[in-house]
Amino acid sequence: MAMTLSAPLRRRATTALLLVPLAAYIIFLAFPLLWLTSTSFKRPNEILVLRPTVIPKAPTLDNYREVLGPEGVVRASLNTMKVAVASAVLALAIALPAAYALARKQSRLNKAIIGWILVSQSFPSILIIVPLFLILARFSLANSHLGLIMVYVVWSLPFVLWILHGFVKGLPNELEEAAAVDGASFPQILFRILMPLLLPGLATTLLYAFVNAWNEFFFALVVLKDPQLMTVQVSLSRFRGLEGLARWGPLAAGSVIATLPAMAAFAFLQRRLVSGLLSGGLKN
Amino acid sequence: MRATAGSVQMAAPQAARRRLLGVLSLYLPLLIPVAALSLIPLVQGIWLGFTDYRLGSPARFNLLANYARMLGDRDFWTSFRTGFVWTFTVTGGEIILGMGLALLLNARVPFRGLWRILILIPWAMPPVIKGLIWRFVYHPDAGLLNYALISLGILRDPINWLADFGWALQSVVLVGIWTGLPLATVVLLSGLQTVPDELKEAAALDGASGWRQFRYVTLPLMAPIIVALSSLEFIWNFNSFGLVYVLTEGGPAGLTRLPMLFAYFEGFQYGNLGYAAALGNVMVLIIGGFVLYGVRRQGAATG
Amino acid sequence: MRRIRLLIAALLVAFLASTGASTAGTAPVRVRFVSLAWQKTAVEAVKEVVTAWNRTNPAIQVDYAQVDWGAIHDYMLTSFQTGNVPDVFHYESIPILDFAKRGFLTDLTPMITPEMRADIFPGAWQTVLSEGGKIHAVPYLWESLIIIYNKKLFRDAGITPPTKEKPWTWDDLQRAAKTLTKDLNGDGRTDQFGAAIGLRSPVNRVLNLSIGFGGNYFYVQGGRNVVLVGEAERALLTILMNMLYVDKTASPDGLGRGSPELIPGFLAGRYAMLPGIGVWARQSLVETAPADFEWGVLPPLKAKTQYQGSATQTLSIPAAAKNKEAAWRFIEFALSRDNMAKQALGDWLFPTRQSSIRLSGFTTTKYGWDVSTDSVRFLRMAPWQKVLGYSEWRTRLATPLMNELFANRITLDQFAERVVAGSAEILDRYR
Repeated sequence: MAMTLSAPLRRRATTALLLVPLAAYIIFLAFPLLWLTSTSFKRPNEILVLRPTVIPKAPTLDNYREVLGPEGVVRASLNTMKVAVASAVLALAIALPAAYALARKQSRLNKAIIGWILVSQSFPSILIIVPLFLILARFSLANSHLGLIMVYVVWSLPFVLWILHGFVKGLPNELEEAAAVDGASFPQILFRILMPLLLPGLATTLLYAFVNAWNEFFFALVVLKDPQLMTVQVSLSRFRGLEGLARWGPLAAGSVIATLPAMAAFAFLQRRLVSGLLSGGLKN
Repeated sequence: MRATAGSVQMAAPQAARRRLLGVLSLYLPLLIPVAALSLIPLVQGIWLGFTDYRLGSPARFNLLANYARMLGDRDFWTSFRTGFVWTFTVTGGEIILGMGLALLLNARVPFRGLWRILILIPWAMPPVIKGLIWRFVYHPDAGLLNYALISLGILRDPINWLADFGWALQSVVLVGIWTGLPLATVVLLSGLQTVPDELKEAAALDGASGWRQFRYVTLPLMAPIIVALSSLEFIWNFNSFGLVYVLTEGGPAGLTRLPMLFAYFEGFQYGNLGYAAALGNVMVLIIGGFVLYGVRRQGAATG
Repeated sequence: MRRIRLLIAALLVAFLASTGASTAGTAPVRVRFVSLAWQKTAVEAVKEVVTAWNRTNPAIQVDYAQVDWGAIHDYMLTSFQTGNVPDVFHYESIPILDFAKRGFLTDLTPMITPEMRADIFPGAWQTVLSEGGKIHAVPYLWESLIIIYNKKLFRDAGITPPTKEKPWTWDDLQRAAKTLTKDLNGDGRTDQFGAAIGLRSPVNRVLNLSIGFGGNYFYVQGGRNVVLVGEAERALLTILMNMLYVDKTASPDGLGRGSPELIPGFLAGRYAMLPGIGVWARQSLVETAPADFEWGVLPPLKAKTQYQGSATQTLSIPAAAKNKEAAWRFIEFALSRDNMAKQALGDWLFPTRQSSIRLSGFTTTKYGWDVSTDSVRFLRMAPWQKVLGYSEWRTRLATPLMNELFANRITLDQFAERVVAGSAEILDRYR
């Protein structure tokens, strides 16, 4: 072609081209939320039809009324919010120094830690539920949110530790060495220099630990006896039935409500994913 | 003398002790809860694999009897093969598709913030409903997939995806990828953020195209993240069973019976917990070995 | 001054101690009750029973918790191993027999009153009777497998549905299914199937229905459990294969689906009949069917007999429970004639008390109750329900082989051969 496209036009064309695969991804990943939302406003006789419509013909708020009512998921969601936030923050606090050690220091303990990560993630978790519960019971932590939080922290640690250590490894040594030469103490190095650069990794692992705790079902079912302590996944499971059946209306409404916090957490954290401080760090 | 991140000359044994103390203090908050809530149950679980424990009976140490039985257990090794096929395809799918999506979300597209939130849906959705929804999608008659494919003319007769001997494994693999894609994308996206723009610009100035920039600048810098993510995804996917259980219960005819599902049946349905734990031990060895080998090879490659 | 302060302190302490003592004396015993009821009316019924109990029994308070069917098995197994058990739990007779064998349940035999013993159907007691005649659970709900049919499609095809007095045989069913299988728009593909049978978890269903042909699968030979697949066992399998692949009157949608999942197609007129569906699924039908949709229940088909194997749903007390006496008092209350009826109606199942089942709720013609209830007299305990190792036999051997058979990948002969060959190895391990 004799004439090349001008820069802004070319950029528009590339953007449009990018939108096609992006749209495909989004449809693939997000379609269930559409179905869930649509179902949550339907009466039972509109749900199990052969060709369901997106917009209900006779919409109803009954499902939401049930799910936001006394026998619903509100209390459970608040409980789980508390547990999930606590586990995420705690997991991060514990893992960060350890991730640094794993990435930067040489030690036999490192090999042991890696071995632990591998074994703990490979061994069937269903087989450790019983001994784990017995340990919690011995410390009077059964039937308590605190016990649950501690278990979730320990369950998230391998991933958080492993991923964070990968991020730390990706940072050049020169930054810390330069800071050390300038007389910075270790905590200062960690918080002033490294953490800002690790923000994407911190946000990711925080989100992971949060969602892990938010989505966990079986251990919460086993550990918590008091109905007031119940978590949201256990609360939702009551709408599930037998042989592929369920009380779809309230289940869909409850699921929509249960999906929101994780989405909100990511909305909050996703700004941290883009760390503009990156380019600044290297210049020094 | 101040401890530094680099190397400083000190008297050798003192330096070693100082270093160990330094490392220990970094690990301490981790070691205590891990020891109590992870190591002890793990050790108990592993030990169980050397007993003949059945629900309701006392556990007696039987050394390697479980493993001898396992060698002759054809169903177990079939499930292992299924497990490997599943694990490689799901992990590969997650990483490759995740990388593509991460690149798209890193580019300058409108409403980028909104897309970044929407892609999280499979991860954010309650697990109790994930399997049920996909069972709906794969329903031969009322299901979305057949409806879409038949409307588009790609398919003439509906396929009973989850019960079809030819399609069942692929159908569950798709759900596996769908479930794991958000986390993989998020990790890879955050990894992309650590690649400084200057390096990419420098490569562009040197005349490198987008693809070459990616291959020679971005990818190598992201290598540690990719390796870390892949190894964990590999292990997790190998151990997955809840989702597949809801979708197919291991059927048809055991075609989607993953190793963990197999161990679950042994332990929780037939009550043979000792044997199930032995299966777990073997899985740890094989998977752990696999991952270590892969990680070490990657480490050697990048130098 | 000091003595007065001392006196006040002493009085205070005495006062506190006395109130402490008195409240300790009247603290109610708490009984934890885990129930599986999930359908809307079922949960309401259970809550009514629990509330009524709590109101009239301040000394024993029941804490009701709902656990879902998908999690109950693992939940109870974990509870048994950790000792963190509920005091009363609702489950099914087949796994209960297994739990009893492993020593996890309290022997209820001494607690069961003669009145309860006499009123509950003997067939129901059979489902929970362990070796040695001990009873570890009280059966209170049971289900039968019925056939749901589309009244309009029957009318249009000119088919008269069978009645309790004149039931159909399996041949009648197949003939009707042929008439009802149509290609409505002439495109060469069947749009309306005579039947759709849910074969996702085929083994229990097939074994239960085979009883009517005299096909028990499990027999005792020389003191051991063996599996035989003879003429009686093959009869039902042949009929199913016939409907799937020869007459093509059974929709292939049924493979890999539970029967209730076929309801959307049924409501859309894709299938005229749903054989082998649990009687409790009527609730889903009632909730989801359009107002003008007419459906009914057909009585159990007659093979050699109309017998079906059935399991009951039960209430049990774990061996590790702390408040067994209190738990039993609650069970007695919850399983009284009226309370049992209430729960059964709520869950669209049958009560096991003869006095309950005579109540009007179960004999009305609405929603096919009368036909369904009548089928109770054909419920039998199937032999496989008591075989140790059945669970492994089913999951490892029978389910994969049935999957292959119904997918037409192996012949009936191959199926029979492999089942018999594989059974010995598995059952031997449990001797």
